[in-house]
Amino acid sequence: MGERPENRVDRIVNGLLRGRRLKLRGGDAEEKEAIIMAARLAAAKQGQQRMSPAFRQRLVKELGAATPQESWMTRRAALVAGLGIVAGAVGGGLLGRSLDGGGSQPPATAGQVVRPSNGLWVDVGALAEFAPGQARMVKAGAVGAFVTRTGDNVAAVSSICSDLPCELWWDSSQHELVCPCHNRSFTTQGSSIGTYKLPSLDVVQVRVRDGRVEVLGA
Amino acid sequence: MTSEPRPPDPVPEDAVQGQVVELPAASRVADVAIDELEMIYAFIYSRVGNRADAEDLTQQVAMKAIPRLRQGAPASAVRGYLFATARSVLGGFWSTRLGLSESELHDDLAMATPQGGYSEKSDERVRRVLEQLSDNYRRVLELRFLHGYSLKEVAVEMRSTVGAVKVMQLRALRAAAKVRLDG
Repeated sequence: MGERPENRVDRIVNGLLRGRRLKLRGGDAEEKEAIIMAARLAAAKQGQQRMSPAFRQRLVKELGAATPQESWMTRRAALVAGLGIVAGAVGGGLLGRSLDGGGSQPPATAGQVVRPSNGLWVDVGALAEFAPGQARMVKAGAVGAFVTRTGDNVAAVSSICSDLPCELWWDSSQHELVCPCHNRSFTTQGSSIGTYKLPSLDVVQVRVRDGRVEVLGA
Repeated sequence: MTSEPRPPDPVPEDAVQGQVVELPAASRVADVAIDELEMIYAFIYSRVGNRADAEDLTQQVAMKAIPRLRQGAPASAVRGYLFATARSVLGGFWSTRLGLSESELHDDLAMATPQGGYSEKSDERVRRVLEQLSDNYRRVLELRFLHGYSLKEVAVEMRSTVGAVKVMQLRALRAAAKVRLDG
């Protein structure tokens, strides 16, 4: 006879609360959402975890053996690993942090104003469509931005994290822009929230013309 | 069932045509990565809730990602790639154990992802999830998970029976899993 769902989940919960590895059996998948939630709650009880010294040491040793002295990379790996470089290129179109100009430009300054070359004002909707206080994501060609309305005024910041080329999302319950790659938040003005500060988001130029919101894109 | 976990591309390939990749000396990337792996470990732990699995998965991330990292890459790039790999490895873990598809995991892996000061953020997220539940559901999960009560102790505290608490625990977990905080 099959295990009752409440017993099945309690067996898993008990294991988690005792710090044991997740041992799942056939049929446990029926309660997958509950099991994943149980794992998260069990983790929350423990608070922030650090690697044990023994595990860290083991990892260092294994990494030493695994890292080739003269490594080569696939193009795909290179592309992914080259994130730091690429931030400019992705945003480059996007943020005016381009690698053009010889690639010798200093790293982009935090919170700078996006000035796309050959910029165009792009209509992103009627002012009335922007709820006051809520950031709304818009695209103006290659420029992604979160536009926030205050009264009849609008302001916009880049939709890309200031540290990595990760697209932010709007947490409407907290009124924050969240970077999924850092799990760090920004205000709608682009300032980093919390003790671990990221550079401020770039400012995107936006204006209201005849009741329409326009963003300077590329 | 997903196939072999693969690191997602954080950026479209066509956005980086012509990038030159440096390949200098070997040791520093591992040095940078080992510090970044602390964050990866905490991120993974916050999803699987136990040390043994967190260590195994962190090790998988390290062994997959680090040999492919560009030497001399900035810490931020190393972090980005490690997190991308961690998401993929975690996806593979849940997919293998529970048969979850990538789309089902999207919320857990993509939206809630990497953390810098995970614990405070993760704890806050859990607190917010619990706040959305009915009093009984919240109470049973708080007592069981946050205070470490046994089923029997929860039953005494809530003036109920062990069997009823067990059922309530399951329903509370199901309800908590349905809470969406981001929209």
